[in-house]
Amino acid sequence: MIAILLIPLVTAALCYALRSAKTLGYISFLGTVVLAAVAVPKVLASFSAPAEAMKGVLYMDSVSGYIMAMVIFLGLASALYSIGYLEHELKVGLTDLTGMRRYYALLHIFIFTMLLVTTANNLALMWIAVEATTIVSAVLIGFGFRKRAMAIEAAWKYIILCSVGITFALLGTFITYYASTAVMGTEGALNWTALKNIAGELNPSTMKLAFIFVLVGYGTKAGLAPIHNWLPDAHSEAPSPISALLSGILLNTAFYGIMRFVSIVEPSTGDVFTGNLLILFGLISIGISSVFILVQDNYKRLLAYSSIEHMGIISLGVGIGGPLGIYGALLHILNHALSKPLMFFASGKIQARYGSTRIENVSGVLSSMPLLGTLTFIGTLSLAGTPPFNIFISEFTILKAGVDKGLWPAVALFLLFAVVVFYGILAGFGRMLFEGAEKLKKAAPEDKGEAVAKVLDFPDMLGSGIMIVMAFCIIALGVSIPDFIDHAIRNCVAVLGVR
Amino acid sequence: MKNWIEAFSVIDFISVGILLTAVAMNAFRRLESCVRTYTVNSWLLSSLIAIVAFMIGETHLYIAAALTLVTKGILLPVFLRRIVKQMKVTHDVEPYINNALSLTISGILVAVVYASLSVGIFVSGFSKNVLQISIAVILIGLFIMITRRKAITQVIGLLFMENGLFLAGFSLTFGMPTIIELGVLFDMLMGVIILGIFAIQIKRVFTSSDLDKLTILKG
Repeated sequence: MIAILLIPLVTAALCYALRSAKTLGYISFLGTVVLAAVAVPKVLASFSAPAEAMKGVLYMDSVSGYIMAMVIFLGLASALYSIGYLEHELKVGLTDLTGMRRYYALLHIFIFTMLLVTTANNLALMWIAVEATTIVSAVLIGFGFRKRAMAIEAAWKYIILCSVGITFALLGTFITYYASTAVMGTEGALNWTALKNIAGELNPSTMKLAFIFVLVGYGTKAGLAPIHNWLPDAHSEAPSPISALLSGILLNTAFYGIMRFVSIVEPSTGDVFTGNLLILFGLISIGISSVFILVQDNYKRLLAYSSIEHMGIISLGVGIGGPLGIYGALLHILNHALSKPLMFFASGKIQARYGSTRIENVSGVLSSMPLLGTLTFIGTLSLAGTPPFNIFISEFTILKAGVDKGLWPAVALFLLFAVVVFYGILAGFGRMLFEGAEKLKKAAPEDKGEAVAKVLDFPDMLGSGIMIVMAFCIIALGVSIPDFIDHAIRNCVAVLGVR
Repeated sequence: MKNWIEAFSVIDFISVGILLTAVAMNAFRRLESCVRTYTVNSWLLSSLIAIVAFMIGETHLYIAAALTLVTKGILLPVFLRRIVKQMKVTHDVEPYINNALSLTISGILVAVVYASLSVGIFVSGFSKNVLQISIAVILIGLFIMITRRKAITQVIGLLFMENGLFLAGFSLTFGMPTIIELGVLFDMLMGVIILGIFAIQIKRVFTSSDLDKLTILKG
């Protein structure tokens, strides 16, 4: 487990030390491959039995393993995609060698901090790791900040809002510590392994207060409305591979913190208290984001609002609770972690090609870039929640859990917002994909030649390759859930202690 | 010595000092004074921890006090002062609301905290005032953040919030394990350094250190 944490750090150091723009990307990719090779056996082992390291400071059970697998997969995808992305940035003069070295080093430190979140046993250590993700990713958002004023603005908003939010999460953690020391003394009083055994004996009113602070704190980081304002800015201004990581997995690691707390708080306060709060925050997030998706004219911001919507759905699933609700939420985390990065990768290529992030400036993607267009189309359908794609399955599961529990108002609102989002996403991306194909055909021929040359570019092909893999996963998960994933999620549900 | 500390209720005096320095932030016009106030606040926090450590004889609290002193009391103020100098801003704070009003609002905040926590779900460790004071400091820090125009004052507001948070954590549980406190302080230090760098970038790119100019991203 220590090796898993060390590999990204070593890779980061290597990337910073290297002085060749050509090999830098490949070394960084190699680092993530080694990381995956070391981590996969550990992750698989964690699904059957939890593991400890460093005298119980690090701890890995199926929930950690589940989230960690996503961190590692997306880290790998993003490192692969970054090669082509940065080469393009270098060509058009948006970055230089120093910038690239910094970028790759920070990328791997970012992966390290997220891995630390998933393996921390101590809740305060988890807090430290979450705060560290904020700091590192803020610098990554401001990457190339000498050129773009917007990126600085986004990074500033991001770090200020998230730091304030997360301060409250620390207060919540302190209060939890206070409650647990009253029961078991100070030794290991913030360890998840110890807390889950004594969760029923904790003082309910103290834990209620703690949970509210934690929900506000980590909720800010997870992009739950109404403190989501940083998210569209940060996601739209970050470099595309970073947007993919932010949206696909960073939000989930923050939500992972909330899930851990839910399973500690629930036994003493009852599941109505936590459930109602999560359903409320979830519905507000879905509602607010659906409106913004409808009126959005910038496709990267549209994707960012879609992230808020999906975090809302996950929160709704955990809030509804019961084995089915949690199962749906965990499945949704995985599905969202596949679909959204695919879309951010695609939007990065569209941005590079059209030089704009406004929907009205982009048209005929499907006819000018058939492969990319198809991938974008698959991602769009998936994000909108169309059957037979993966997100439909998990949304349906959550819906079913809600109906089973008889939470009709929540179910009705969710369906209403889902319809709005469906229209908003399809309208936005449909325009970009299908419209104005004729206009493009009349355009200058050398423009087309450039596009062809680009497709044959090797680093670009790597990026397309990983996108094809992700699109395949999206379709495969929509058709049926493989046994090992089903098994993993069932274990996670059991670990989170759902009665 | 212990009797003396108890007789003169030194702990209460110091925690009131922490509250007063936070309230005083509202009255200052110059950025340098704000940084100095923060320094005093941190020194008071550190000495409070040291005195409690002496009272209950816990070694790990001495370490916590020393860590607080080094990071919050020395490193951060030095860094902030350098940032203020480098920005070459007009050294006024320029709040959105005038000082009298903002002092009044902080006073109301303190009263609200005392009123709402008087019923109390907590049995506090060493002084019954410390928790109220710490929550009040957190809220005043937040208030400073939202009513000041300069990038650097937002950072100072955040730092006040974190001082309040440390005090709260300390009054609830006599501090976290040392390794955790070290991690939290390290995070904070890094965060402030990054914020400082961004503040300089804002000054350079927007040719102003006012956050009013940061309005490109909307909707």
